[in-house]
Amino acid sequence: MTVKVLHMYPNMLDLYGDSGNMELLSYRLKMRGHGFEKTSYTIGDGAKTDFESYDLIYLGGGADFEQQLLAEDLLSCKDKILRAYKSGVFMLMICGGYQLMGKYYKDSNGKKIPGLGLFDYYTVASTNKRERCIGNIVIETDIGGKKYKVIGFENHGGMTENVKTPFGKVIFGNGNKFGSETEGYREKNVIATYLHGPLLSKNPKLADHILEYILSRKQGSPVSLKPLNDELESKAREVMFKRLLESGKNKK
Amino acid sequence: MFIINFFTILIGKILSGLLHLLGKNAGNLPGLVLCTMRKNALKAFKIDCPIIAVTGTNGKTSVTNFIAEMFRQTGAKIITNPEGNNLDTGITSLLLNHCTMGGKVKADYLILETDESHVPVVYSKLKLETLVVLNFFRDQLDRNGEVETLILKVSKFCETFGGNLILNGDDPNVARLGYANPKNPNVKYFSVDKYRYATDSLHEAGEGRFCPRCGTELAYDYYQYSHIGRFACPKCGYGKLKPYVKFTDIDLQKPSFTAEGEEYITAGSTIYYMYNLCAVYAAAKLYGIDKKTVRKVFKGFEVNNGRMEKFEYKGSVLTLNLAKNPVGANMTVRMINECEDNKEMLFVLNDNLADGHDVSWIWDINFSIFNNVTRVVTSGRRAYDIAVRIKCSGYPAEKIVVRPDLDDAVKELFSTKGRKFAVANYTAVQPTRSALKRFLNGEAKRNDS
Repeated sequence: MTVKVLHMYPNMLDLYGDSGNMELLSYRLKMRGHGFEKTSYTIGDGAKTDFESYDLIYLGGGADFEQQLLAEDLLSCKDKILRAYKSGVFMLMICGGYQLMGKYYKDSNGKKIPGLGLFDYYTVASTNKRERCIGNIVIETDIGGKKYKVIGFENHGGMTENVKTPFGKVIFGNGNKFGSETEGYREKNVIATYLHGPLLSKNPKLADHILEYILSRKQGSPVSLKPLNDELESKAREVMFKRLLESGKNKK
Repeated sequence: MFIINFFTILIGKILSGLLHLLGKNAGNLPGLVLCTMRKNALKAFKIDCPIIAVTGTNGKTSVTNFIAEMFRQTGAKIITNPEGNNLDTGITSLLLNHCTMGGKVKADYLILETDESHVPVVYSKLKLETLVVLNFFRDQLDRNGEVETLILKVSKFCETFGGNLILNGDDPNVARLGYANPKNPNVKYFSVDKYRYATDSLHEAGEGRFCPRCGTELAYDYYQYSHIGRFACPKCGYGKLKPYVKFTDIDLQKPSFTAEGEEYITAGSTIYYMYNLCAVYAAAKLYGIDKKTVRKVFKGFEVNNGRMEKFEYKGSVLTLNLAKNPVGANMTVRMINECEDNKEMLFVLNDNLADGHDVSWIWDINFSIFNNVTRVVTSGRRAYDIAVRIKCSGYPAEKIVVRPDLDDAVKELFSTKGRKFAVANYTAVQPTRSALKRFLNGEAKRNDS
């Protein structure tokens, strides 16, 4: 099967290697003999884009300036994106992308950028630009009924409130706001998170979980992917877990 | 004021003297203490000679060393910070070591590598004659904030600066500084003509996509690397500038270039090396340094500080290069590719404070272009992260060897013969040099006995 991905605003939402998530999905599909087809969405493409025809909609993280520039364009696609989400298209959103799907984002200059309002959460950034949650982060989430540690790097000034169904429980780091218990937002076909790294690079089980959802939905029956040799990924995780979780510093 | 200045210098000298007595390198500490004690500590120095500052994301150390060497060859007395120490505190310490008790700094020229964000801090207090700006790229994002913030800081300084401004005319982020003070007649651009491996489209993450004057997307005739290339704004004409110095006939094989009708042989052979030399050439031209000296320095001088530094072991040549951000790393990968033989690569990745704790920038490195790389060894605190990154770009996992310990990594790398390249990020570069030297010395000793 060929997975069709809509990468929204890749020119503007591309901080901290977030485009790497696309490369990772492509890699993991290719290793299983599946195809990956990516379409880049840029400002003004709304009218010609059929959001529902994609299997995954992806938004990366961006700076305040870029978020402002694209907010209006994003709003003009609201109904179409809402339909895609309701029809089960998988939505993966990082940092700025996460914030823009909520009710609103009030940036560090006090400027309120309306979000798409797909979900009930909202985000307010401190007007002190130095007050940011920056650092390695480990959270615990659920994948197929099993607990799975997700590791990444957070760097955000926005504090996200009113998250009803978080992506995971924070084990190390901050999460949705300073010292938060929770991180990100999740539904069956939605993962929104502050984790850069990029997210899928050190969390291969999460990548496969997303791909299995997508392939199963496409095929109409459950697909289970054959495991890959993720030895390097496991070691990368091990090193960081050892450093972060066994040091006792910042531990929850 | 005199009294305050006197005491500032006195305290600094005492501190510096004490550290020497204790057998410690005076490095940064006296400057740090003075700058903390008194915000304007730099004003305590009396400097009559011209100050030349070099700033930009990549190449500062190399260009500073080259310019200093040019002047040294002319017999001038130079004070410079060849090892970095490029913040206000480092510069204060440097001047403290070279001044009289009265704060007088005696030299013919001060040539100072200066951190981008510290240009306004330092040169609001010291009178700057010439500012050389090389480029603006993404660098350690989690510490520096966005590139734009940094450019605006330097730009604001340029608004009231009337001295010589030597700017990279092929970097839209740098060339814009030439417009910051329309009254400054001393703006000079350097430019490098299209080289063999230039491309029609952007291959690596770049910063300056839009015209800084009118916001229109810039049009490029070609890209040399990252967003460096011949650009112009289709709407307002930004970028149509007349270079003060232009390198043509870039030949990376020889390696050589032509400037003002004369060919020069160089020691380094990459496009960014040529850009560095172009900045140096512009400074040399501005200060009337004769072409014989320029020729000699370009041909023979090497910075040898982990910047394109060469090592040799039993006929296997290794080139070590610092790469602390995606652009630097992409350039190094490209340089590795321009060597068409089979070769092996060592990548050392750390995530210490000075590197930025966030290593996600490695995903902005384009490894998919690898050719004839027969094996990759990775090392450093994040050896596995870089291994994962290279694997997922499509490079065969079985050709990747992870050796987090640097001595193990170097030993592994030299277990085979042939051409080698090593890439190390900021805090990794000196330990990598040390490990290489340990290995080469150890091996030499073993052969002697």
